[in-house]
Amino acid sequence: MDIFLEQLINGLTLGSIYALIALGYTMVYGILRLINFAHGDLFALGAYVGFTILGVVFSSDVRAIWLVLIVIALGATIPVVITSLTIERAAYRPLRTSHRLTTVVSALGAGIVIQNAIMLIWGSRYHAYPGWAVPSGRYEIFGVNITLMQIIILAISLLLMVALYMFVQRTVIGIAIRATATDHDTARLMGINVSGIIRLVFIIGPALGAIAGVMIGLYYRQIHYTMGWSYGLKAFTAAILGGIGNIPGAMLGGLLLGVLEIMGAGYISAAWKDAFVFVILILLLIFRPRGLLGERVAEKV
Amino acid sequence: MKFSLTNSRTLLIAAASLALIGTAAAQDPIRIGLQAPLTGPWAVEGEMAQNSVQVVVDKINADGGVLGRQIEIVLGDDQGEPRQSALVAQRFVTQGVDAAIASYGSSVTEPAQLIYEDAGMLNIAYGATAVSLTSHGYEYFFRPTSRDDSEGAFFAEFATQTLGADRIAIVHDNTTFARGLADAAQESLGAYEGAEVVFFDAVTPGDRDFSAIVSRLRQQDPDVVYFTAYYPEAGLFIRQLRDAGVDIDFVGGNAAVNAEFIEIAGLDVAVGAMVLQEPLVADLEYTQAVDFHDEYVARHGAAPSTPWPVYAADSLNVIVAAMEATGSTDSADLAAWLHSGVTVDGITGEISFTEAGDRASAVIKVYVVDDEGQLEDTGY
Repeated sequence: MDIFLEQLINGLTLGSIYALIALGYTMVYGILRLINFAHGDLFALGAYVGFTILGVVFSSDVRAIWLVLIVIALGATIPVVITSLTIERAAYRPLRTSHRLTTVVSALGAGIVIQNAIMLIWGSRYHAYPGWAVPSGRYEIFGVNITLMQIIILAISLLLMVALYMFVQRTVIGIAIRATATDHDTARLMGINVSGIIRLVFIIGPALGAIAGVMIGLYYRQIHYTMGWSYGLKAFTAAILGGIGNIPGAMLGGLLLGVLEIMGAGYISAAWKDAFVFVILILLLIFRPRGLLGERVAEKV
Repeated sequence: MKFSLTNSRTLLIAAASLALIGTAAAQDPIRIGLQAPLTGPWAVEGEMAQNSVQVVVDKINADGGVLGRQIEIVLGDDQGEPRQSALVAQRFVTQGVDAAIASYGSSVTEPAQLIYEDAGMLNIAYGATAVSLTSHGYEYFFRPTSRDDSEGAFFAEFATQTLGADRIAIVHDNTTFARGLADAAQESLGAYEGAEVVFFDAVTPGDRDFSAIVSRLRQQDPDVVYFTAYYPEAGLFIRQLRDAGVDIDFVGGNAAVNAEFIEIAGLDVAVGAMVLQEPLVADLEYTQAVDFHDEYVARHGAAPSTPWPVYAADSLNVIVAAMEATGSTDSADLAAWLHSGVTVDGITGEISFTEAGDRASAVIKVYVVDDEGQLEDTGY
């Protein structure tokens, strides 16, 4: 039982990071029916910017680690959001009326551009977040092993997800987002600034992605310019699992994917964990093509 | 993609006309292909290999070259990927380079060696130790390194006799090399009374989260963990192992520990990690090794942090020695000469090859990461 709980916490930690990235995919899809393939690379950019801020702004003498964490998390989101808005303006908006496949190709291209830009700026080697910046601490609660960093990741992710959910459900802007997701033309007739809402979605999603990137850097310490692709793929899978376009679905899908992956590695075989995860995804899509919480049948892409 | 394609067309035409005339003009360089992971996850290995080969090339060219001709290195970036590796090998064959040094990583070398064999081109692997590579009866493939089975046997003896471990955990990554090494170690451990492999599983290359495998490994309460995969995962693995409070001996296979391993893991965690590998160039006493080491340090500030780049340099030494001895650049002549039991004086000592193309005698040592983040020879 102890080991099960420990694996559950491992899975929820991994899953909450997937969920944060998945929200970026699902929100853009919900509004534009576009799979923003550049999103994974925006997440990687967040991890790298966080790494640079950490190295340039702070030194190892800093005692207030909490302050450092807040500064790098916020500092990393700004360049990522600017990049995201640039992509939206340059690569997606001119194609808004064209065929959907064209936009998907454009998104793939934007992702490749960001990935290569990261490689050119920071190089193709691995980078490691400095050890002093990582809050260290390990607790044993009823025989269950949990690290301070895991607690931080779980707490921040949960907080961000609840905040986003409340924002979308309870505020006027949230209602406007949901209205735009349902029908652009009707929303426009109701006096909603649809372009503004689209921009907003391209701000919120990548900002969450950038924070996830910084947390990945702090948790695992090692970052690489190709990481956007592997995490992007997993998060995209999570969005599909939960029902793409649905915000609580992406949260549920992310957490579920993380837990499934860890349970697969913990109880079946670590070598086969990805196969295990994707078999479950395929089965789910056969029996419930909309995903767990998806309301609409996905139209062809 | 970095291919040095300088004047490739002119050189191709030159090569073609040479073949017609049948004599080597003094001014045409001998072209050797160097296939290495210059980008991708193993970029640091590729860079060190390129630097090492360059040291030897400059020395040979300064001394008047080979057979009166200068040596030119043609670079091919295989990105540490089997698919790219096949493309690079094809390109070298099409370009008609005289011989190839290829490559780092057994799974990467595998598709390339087949292409070189079919084309009848001498190819020497500098960082590919999987047993299967020399089991195909290839005529043109050689490697100046050890083989996984000898390292596996060495680990079994070291873990049980020196470390006194009974319960042993083995972690690989399902690639040809790491799986082969893990299997070899497991098999060798069978010969030791009381030794038991209590954990045997794989990580996924490129993955970052090993919490599940670490939690499960901890339940088995092993005395030592043998990590046979590559350094990007090894650095993350040892950190997550220590974060989970598992304080057992960590022994890396010969691709697990280098300068980047220490950076990824953090020095506080990496200290005390052991690695079984071929000797580092700093610990070799041959004149050639000392000269090479000094020149490399003068150029790049520090010696290569793994043995492999030096084997890339030695691969070139082997090719050059064969060309000098046979007076030919034809791969069939070179391979026949290398198969005839001759000995080449290399940076890593005397190199001779078995019938299969393996190095006849290879040394393995135990290194440990010291307080300053240097690899220290333990003397075992």
